[in-house]
Amino acid sequence: MATVELKNVIKRYGDLEVVHGVDLAIADKEFVVLVGPSGCGKSTILRMIAGLEDISDGEILIDDTVVNELEPKNRNIAMVFQDYALYPHLTVRQNMSFGLENHKIAKAEIGKRVADASVILGLEDYMDRKPRQLSGGQRQRVAMGRAIVRNPKVFLFDEPLSNLDAKLRGVMRTEIKKLHQRVATTVIFVTHDQVEAMTLADRVVVLKDGHVEQIGTPEEVYHTPASVFVAGFIGSPTMNFITGSVSSSGDSVRLADNFVLTPPEHWHAALAGRREVTVGIRPETFHVADAEDASVLDIKIDVVEPLGSDTMIFFKIDSAEAVARVVPKLGLRSGDTLSVSVDTQAIHFFDPENGQSLRGSEA
Amino acid sequence: MFGKKRTRELLLVSFLLTPALLIFFVYRILPLLWNLVLSFTFWRPAKTPEFAGLEHYNEMIFYDDVFWEALSNTIIYMAGMPIAIALATIVALLVNARVGGRNIYRSAIFISYPMMPVAVGIIWQWLYNERVGLINYVLLSLGIIDDPIAFLQSTTYALPSVMLVGIWQILGFFMIILLTGLQSISQNLYEAAAIDGTSNWRQFWRITFPLLRPSLFLCFVIGVISSFTSFDLIYVMTGGGPGHATELLITYIYKTAFELSSFDYAGALTIMMFVLFLGITLIANRIAGGEAGKIE
Repeated sequence: MATVELKNVIKRYGDLEVVHGVDLAIADKEFVVLVGPSGCGKSTILRMIAGLEDISDGEILIDDTVVNELEPKNRNIAMVFQDYALYPHLTVRQNMSFGLENHKIAKAEIGKRVADASVILGLEDYMDRKPRQLSGGQRQRVAMGRAIVRNPKVFLFDEPLSNLDAKLRGVMRTEIKKLHQRVATTVIFVTHDQVEAMTLADRVVVLKDGHVEQIGTPEEVYHTPASVFVAGFIGSPTMNFITGSVSSSGDSVRLADNFVLTPPEHWHAALAGRREVTVGIRPETFHVADAEDASVLDIKIDVVEPLGSDTMIFFKIDSAEAVARVVPKLGLRSGDTLSVSVDTQAIHFFDPENGQSLRGSEA
Repeated sequence: MFGKKRTRELLLVSFLLTPALLIFFVYRILPLLWNLVLSFTFWRPAKTPEFAGLEHYNEMIFYDDVFWEALSNTIIYMAGMPIAIALATIVALLVNARVGGRNIYRSAIFISYPMMPVAVGIIWQWLYNERVGLINYVLLSLGIIDDPIAFLQSTTYALPSVMLVGIWQILGFFMIILLTGLQSISQNLYEAAAIDGTSNWRQFWRITFPLLRPSLFLCFVIGVISSFTSFDLIYVMTGGGPGHATELLITYIYKTAFELSSFDYAGALTIMMFVLFLGITLIANRIAGGEAGKIE
């Protein structure tokens, strides 16, 4: 049972402010992922919640209690570090029971909790090994085990999967999700990997340069990104951004000579009166044109990347690079020409000056 | 048996190792073997050597009181090393903490180590001086003592006084070794320990100390070596006196060989010291799990 709340949290190192007034309310048992490129302040925020960094200004509350001045050990949290931070001279069992021994918990109880955690994590056969005798994935499990046995109010994960290879990362991602369902505790998870953020989170917090760019469910940040940054950061391959010129009434946007989009009605008001706009089109929003399409674009394919399930085609709209995701059966080759169109319901418009979405109140 | 490439590599390796091995052999192995030969002979300069059997060892063990005094002094002197290591650990922990001016403290403490032992001996001789020494002056001014103490001329104080200087000089070196060991411990371990609610005491004994063990044993081995070889410091300060109060094996060997010209007996003493030294080092390394100086 734990809520976590950040109120206008600021972090300064000397004169340098690296986290600028972050507000965030995390519900009990919620899985929240802080995501952003390196240097966005996500780890700093996590470390402030853990109590490993001082808070320069603002308040952090755990279960409605201000914890600014509390030592890490009094916050009832557990943290999994990027490099696992396992004690190299202790066995797996000793690593997992170390924290409990600090709290003067009865030996029998410690033994039981450690045994339970080892079953959950599949570590029963490795309990007497030292960390150096374990693989990366096993070390990761021990680090999680050390957190689980504490029965903390909040789990903090600091890029726990970034030292693992791609395949293992996928496996561990699933395990963390299962674990969350099983132990039902509030989780705050930091990553720079948008796939991890999307797959794990109940809610995603997208950070940039120490600011919150957007907070929302994975669907929200994907389908209604608040800015060019969020739109470009979430989703792979990244969203295409093309500058378009807007008609005076805001009901049509021209991307290329013969390619004019008709935005859905709810955009018209926001677009009216603008001359230029940044149009965001996800690769899967393109489709091969058919008779029903009002406006089509004839393209020449530069590169074809077959992925098996999909095929990526790279082309230019005027001089702007663009990528589209199409069904693989088409048998396309580079140099082919193709007519494509877009699903206008799924396109995004951004202010070219500040990068903010023009969706306005509709979002 | 070996491939062509392997033979070439072996040749190259042997070639490159030769100078170092040659020097090691000429200046270490050969003198040791010569000492061994000497220790079983009656040998005086310009006289024909005669086989002595175990005569020198017999004399040393059953008749030579000075040998036993020198041996016991050497062991007491060596026992100062754990004290030096404990002090160095405390100092290393302090200067490893994020305190202002820690570079200054670190340099000030380390500076004793590269100083010449002869210079150190002379400086401390003055500090310990009965009439003009700073230490007597301070103790008198504070009213701790009523009469000045002749530290280096007293059979009671001479050995502890000399040990103090030995500890002072090697402290800086131990501190650097331990500091390196401390800094190789990942900071994350301490953060994990802080979140786990580990007390400072437990953190030291359960995390820092075990991870510092290789560095501590390296210090111990170096300390043992230095207590067997601290010749210049002792020789300058007390010359082994008063009487034999600060006589160490190494000063006794020197006197036997070069003042009494008993090279044969000095050879036997040297072999004895070598055996002791080897034994202690082997035991220490066994306790350390063969990991003295290892960095995790």
